[in-house]
Amino acid sequence: MGLLERSDAYWKFAGQCTQCGKCTKACDSLIAADMTLGEIAKALLAAQRGATTRDEVRRNIEDNPQLVQAVRGCFFCTTCKNTCFAHNDVCDLIYNARVDFQDLGLIPRETWSSVLVDEEWDIFTAYRAIHGIGYADLTLHVENDYHDAETGFDAVFFPGCSLAAYGPELTREIFGVFEEFGVRATMLDSCCGSSLRSAGFFERAEALCDRNVQEIIQSGAKQLVCVCPGCANDMGRALERAGITIEVVSLVEFLASHGFESRRPLPEGPVCISKSCQDRDGTYLEQTCDLLGIDAQSASIFHGCCGAGGAVNAFQPERQAQQADSKLSFAPDGSTVVTMCPTCTYTYAYRLMNNPRAIANKHYAELLFESQLDWDLVFYQLGSMWSGEYGPWLAEVFA
Amino acid sequence: MQANGQSEVAIIGYGTAGVNAAIGLRTAGYEGVIRVFSDTDIPPYSPILTSYYASGEKTYEECFPWSAEELAELRLEVEAGAPVTELDPEAHLITTAKGTFPYAKCVIATGSTPACWGFPGVEGDEAFEPIVLRSMENAERLKAVLEDSTCKRMLVSGASMVALKTVEACLNKGVKVTLVGMNPHVLDFNALPPIAERFEKGLREKGVELKLGQVIKSVKRTDEGLEVTFSTGDVDVFDQISVSHGMKSNLDFVKPGSLEIDRALVVDEFMRTSDPDVYAAGDVAQGTELVSGQKAIVGIWKNAALQGACAGRAIAAELAGGEPAPECALKGSIATNTIAVNGTLFISAGTMAVTPERRTDLRETDDMSVLCIYEAMPDGGERLVGFNLCCDHDESGSVAYDLGAMLTLRIEAACKKA
Repeated sequence: MGLLERSDAYWKFAGQCTQCGKCTKACDSLIAADMTLGEIAKALLAAQRGATTRDEVRRNIEDNPQLVQAVRGCFFCTTCKNTCFAHNDVCDLIYNARVDFQDLGLIPRETWSSVLVDEEWDIFTAYRAIHGIGYADLTLHVENDYHDAETGFDAVFFPGCSLAAYGPELTREIFGVFEEFGVRATMLDSCCGSSLRSAGFFERAEALCDRNVQEIIQSGAKQLVCVCPGCANDMGRALERAGITIEVVSLVEFLASHGFESRRPLPEGPVCISKSCQDRDGTYLEQTCDLLGIDAQSASIFHGCCGAGGAVNAFQPERQAQQADSKLSFAPDGSTVVTMCPTCTYTYAYRLMNNPRAIANKHYAELLFESQLDWDLVFYQLGSMWSGEYGPWLAEVFA
Repeated sequence: MQANGQSEVAIIGYGTAGVNAAIGLRTAGYEGVIRVFSDTDIPPYSPILTSYYASGEKTYEECFPWSAEELAELRLEVEAGAPVTELDPEAHLITTAKGTFPYAKCVIATGSTPACWGFPGVEGDEAFEPIVLRSMENAERLKAVLEDSTCKRMLVSGASMVALKTVEACLNKGVKVTLVGMNPHVLDFNALPPIAERFEKGLREKGVELKLGQVIKSVKRTDEGLEVTFSTGDVDVFDQISVSHGMKSNLDFVKPGSLEIDRALVVDEFMRTSDPDVYAAGDVAQGTELVSGQKAIVGIWKNAALQGACAGRAIAAELAGGEPAPECALKGSIATNTIAVNGTLFISAGTMAVTPERRTDLRETDDMSVLCIYEAMPDGGERLVGFNLCCDHDESGSVAYDLGAMLTLRIEAACKKA
């Protein structure tokens, strides 16, 4: 119903929004745009109304900086949705808008060329290749130089792209407990495609998840174990789409169900939990607290995005830093911030590197296992990739 | 494209459910005539915002969620100011004062009207009608009353969401307000005592006088104003009275016996009534309530929007010669409520019925109380079936809102699993 491919989604949202304005007050980006979520949908519909070509629609959107701010400035944290009394689905609205923005060429290529995680090379696979990080010996369901393809596994371990790239020792230590528990497991070192979604490649993200599902089916596993709540959400939806009844569980739930005991004591000082915004119903948070032995009711928990969501960094880098600072401000000096999603851990580490504070930043797996994430090394290696011998190749691949 | 020789789709009612039915039809590809019957000349508005308008938080124009351009894009034939007097499903005919209109498929989306059940009337002023709050006309009257300097004291009868929004409007306009409710606590059927008590504390701190566990016994017009005698024997004088004693589905025009009506029109997961060519959405529809699995009216904005859109898509599919796609079905909904009165926030979802197989869990902090209701499951586990939350402050994006959303998602997920 219109020149925009996703206009039906905007109609749906416009129909559901009462324009009470509560959402706007919940989000810096919406405040900057001075728009409600419903007004985003209505502005997109207005951009195509009366236009005869897609170029015209594109110009109409470009001429509306408030709309561009609202669509590209979204972290997908759902704070606005949570405040909306109707809980209208902001993610559905903004993902669809990003798809149209991408189709119309409104998202510059340089902001997403290195995160096309469904292609051979993206920032994670390049990092792993350059620094010799691989898991061919653990991806047992896939035929490679190390082994034939096997099947009949109990579980598939899905560490996610950040942990697999930046925490190879921790990834391997986690994988090791599957065998200790007598669980026959293989590893899927792919990505859930969240960066594709943020860039407006929604169908490519779904296709990537669908490919992951095919690998899971081939493995014969009955359980998918995810480290990150966002991966669990996306893979859960893909499995549902495929009509496959494979249980998706968090790593903490898996560990708890097998009686895992932490390999290190809790850090001294206050522990602050940074709830992942992808942990929409807070189940992951509770499971993590339970396993760590922290009372979720009395723990210091902060909500909202770490600053990495929605590829906002590519649009307004300063907002990522502001968001990270805002979240970290809840943590007193001497405390440990515990994250659910490895990308949150990465984001806080990057911020603390540039704006040091006397707080420790740990992924929950670091509080359970011996191996730790070495962010100084990671950031050094990330930086040196571009200036070293692979620099020209990276510049060409990600141009 | 035709049923019984007619190809028009009729939508009776031009509110949330009606507009969303039209959106559902158009986005599903229906290109035929959509004739909308409205009992008013006013474009579709948000009943949610009427109290904000009355209290001056929203302008009149801000109460209309859809612009003239958007509504024009839906290509509706609007029969404005033409209340439907009869719907004859067998003959596929709709009658108004303007004439009789045939239809192929019809959506009933006529909403509901505030009820004044139990209000005794006013001795010495038989023409007196208490203030109610639902429509723009209602809101305009309330606004005028609150802006009239002679109105110093308002009595609000009822303790529901609508009553509390009326209380808020009074507070915002500096009108002293007393709330009388027959139950021991405010937030009838939506809150359990510990949460309601916290909310009541917030109201009292804002100067609201609460007279709970009593009703208006009689009202007499005197020189001083409206002299109210309460069931406790107390007597007090007010300048105005607002009544929020529940809502009544607007179904008087349905030919008796022509459609299955329980408390409202019983609908399936595509909003079809007992007549295959008549659909219902919003406050007139009794769809599946997910926690209980029973048919119930879930009279909230979002549900009206979802039901309307569902009906529209289903009709479009049927008129195109097919069946509605299973993924377009609305399996059901749960009741959710959010209300803030001058900074005191209340959120609830699911059921508040504490039956023997259910237990409650109350958590309280300095600024918030959360009560969860869990139900035992046959496998020995339990599921969250409802919660209440009251927070002493109302800030968009706060933990209270996040927690409310998280618990709502858990109830929905548990329903899906069950």
